[in-house]
Amino acid sequence: MVIAVVIIGYFVSQNSSKVSTEQIKIGVVAPMSGNLAFLGEGIRDAMLLAQQDLGNTQYTYELIFEDDQLDSKITASAVNKLIGVNKVDAIVSFGSGPGNVVAPIAEQNNVVHLGIATDPNVAKGEVNFIHWTPPAEENKVFVEELQRRGIKKLGVFESNQQGAAAVMADLKEKLKETDIEIVTDQVFNVGEKDFRSIISKAKNSGAEIYLLLAFSPEVEVLGKQIKEAGINTPLTSIEAFELSEQVDLFEGEWYVNAASPTGDFATKFEAKTNKNPTLGAANAYDIFNLIVAATEGFKGSTKPTPNQIANELTTIKDFNGVLGNLSVDEDGIVMSKAAIRMIKDGKPVDVDN
Amino acid sequence: MEIVPQLILNSIIAGSIYALIALGFNFIYGATKFFNLAHGVMAAIGGYAVFYFAKTLGLNLYFAVILGVALAGIVGYGLDKFIYLPLRKRKASNMVLLVASLGAMTALQAVIAILFTSRFKTFSQNIGTQKLFEVLGGVITQTQLIIILVTALILAGLVFLLYKTQFGKAVRAISDDEEVARIVGINTNKIIGYVFFIGSALAGLAGILVGFDTGIEPTMGLGLLLKGVIASVIGGVGNIYGGVLGAFLLGFVENFGIWKISGEWKDAIAFTLLIVFLIFRPRGIMNK
Repeated sequence: MVIAVVIIGYFVSQNSSKVSTEQIKIGVVAPMSGNLAFLGEGIRDAMLLAQQDLGNTQYTYELIFEDDQLDSKITASAVNKLIGVNKVDAIVSFGSGPGNVVAPIAEQNNVVHLGIATDPNVAKGEVNFIHWTPPAEENKVFVEELQRRGIKKLGVFESNQQGAAAVMADLKEKLKETDIEIVTDQVFNVGEKDFRSIISKAKNSGAEIYLLLAFSPEVEVLGKQIKEAGINTPLTSIEAFELSEQVDLFEGEWYVNAASPTGDFATKFEAKTNKNPTLGAANAYDIFNLIVAATEGFKGSTKPTPNQIANELTTIKDFNGVLGNLSVDEDGIVMSKAAIRMIKDGKPVDVDN
Repeated sequence: MEIVPQLILNSIIAGSIYALIALGFNFIYGATKFFNLAHGVMAAIGGYAVFYFAKTLGLNLYFAVILGVALAGIVGYGLDKFIYLPLRKRKASNMVLLVASLGAMTALQAVIAILFTSRFKTFSQNIGTQKLFEVLGGVITQTQLIIILVTALILAGLVFLLYKTQFGKAVRAISDDEEVARIVGINTNKIIGYVFFIGSALAGLAGILVGFDTGIEPTMGLGLLLKGVIASVIGGVGNIYGGVLGAFLLGFVENFGIWKISGEWKDAIAFTLLIVFLIFRPRGIMNK
């Protein structure tokens, strides 16, 4: 009897340790304070929601959040802390600037990195990935919409940062194949608040629509100063409107955004946070589940190494995410479709063409 | 060339804001002869005070503006009373005072961020509610017109204060030579305290006007201070007229500078102007 109890006890303890003691640590670097805190909070809430929704898994998944205020200098120290102190297995970053900081550090330290970023350079290397609708896809939809609306002259106000530069480089290539012309392209530095003179330069360009590529608060100040300059030309954006907390400033304007999440995710997110899903929240939810799928998919007797998780990630095809069926391409980019949206009654809504 | 009238107006608007900062900065520098880096944060204090009194407490806007200006002045006075004055009494060098002011700036910025978060805030986010005026072929908003008028009034008031009152005489005496001013019976510490109050209140007013025009954030003071300092150096540090002249010159060079080149070079243009003056006319336009 005693021997039977000892044997059963031994096997129970072996099984339980296999289920719960092996832990995968995921570090998340996002703006939790500053002007874009609402986006970082959305990412945090979505990842906690994904963790909460997790069923039975072989490993447990711990989330560690670090605030970088979307400032690359702070990103570097936050990532080094996550790797050096918290010993994370994977890192999630937000934004092209921070993503470009995290990518080489992740590569050097052999930690899986998934960026919610536009710039494809963020996905360079063996362990780096992006889950964001790439500029090529967003621009394809954007150009099609311009053509559908018969717009021939485009004015651009772009912030001097990596994400906007990646979008503009691709857009300029795409427009070469069309009869649409960029009649003015005004670049300004991040943190600029006085746009009056560049608005004056653009005012008489004959643009039929102005494309705004900027983060908050620049995008709101720019939108306000364009109106104050007496310009009534429509405004549009690629993502920028949803990078603002004051989307009602752009009431009635259409724009292109990264893929829209499923209604089910939006309902769950709203129930948890009392808010609509913010930009990047659905990507964060999917990223958590992609890391889980890659880790759980590894067929080995020990906890997978970051390289093994990265290898598993590259094999993922048609993953059922909240942003649709997701596949990781050969460049480490998790492809998803772009969507046309508009601001209606102070809220972003999908436009059905 | 249709753009020129608008660029002139934009330059005057930018110059007016820089002038308000430069006026206060030069006023304080003239009396104390040190670079008060905490001067910029007074702009943030003024802006956030109005935000708190008007938007959070719902006080009358004009009353909130008066309170905001007064609070910035009081904080400036407090800095002198509790930090700079004890250091001056210990014969601390200007470098020590500069470092102390840097510490004060950092601490006050942090306090504002803790109290109000570091998010950008606007006094009014409604587009199209401001009156627009057409002036000489350019467009100007009601707020921007107020900024220009207020700067002109403040300049006139400060000139009157400096050249037509006993207080002004005392300030000028201290600016010329503090030791001699003390020997002839001027209570220099008291006068310098008042100078800090007035100079900081002017920075607070600039912050409030920027808040109405664009918005406020805890770090707004540093950018304003840099432009104010460049304006002061160009015009002549410590010289009231020089600061104003430098501010408008900076405004014009910045705004006309980006006429033919990209807007991302705006700050580079401002600092190039500073370097040119430091090399060829280090004492500024007005100082010989």
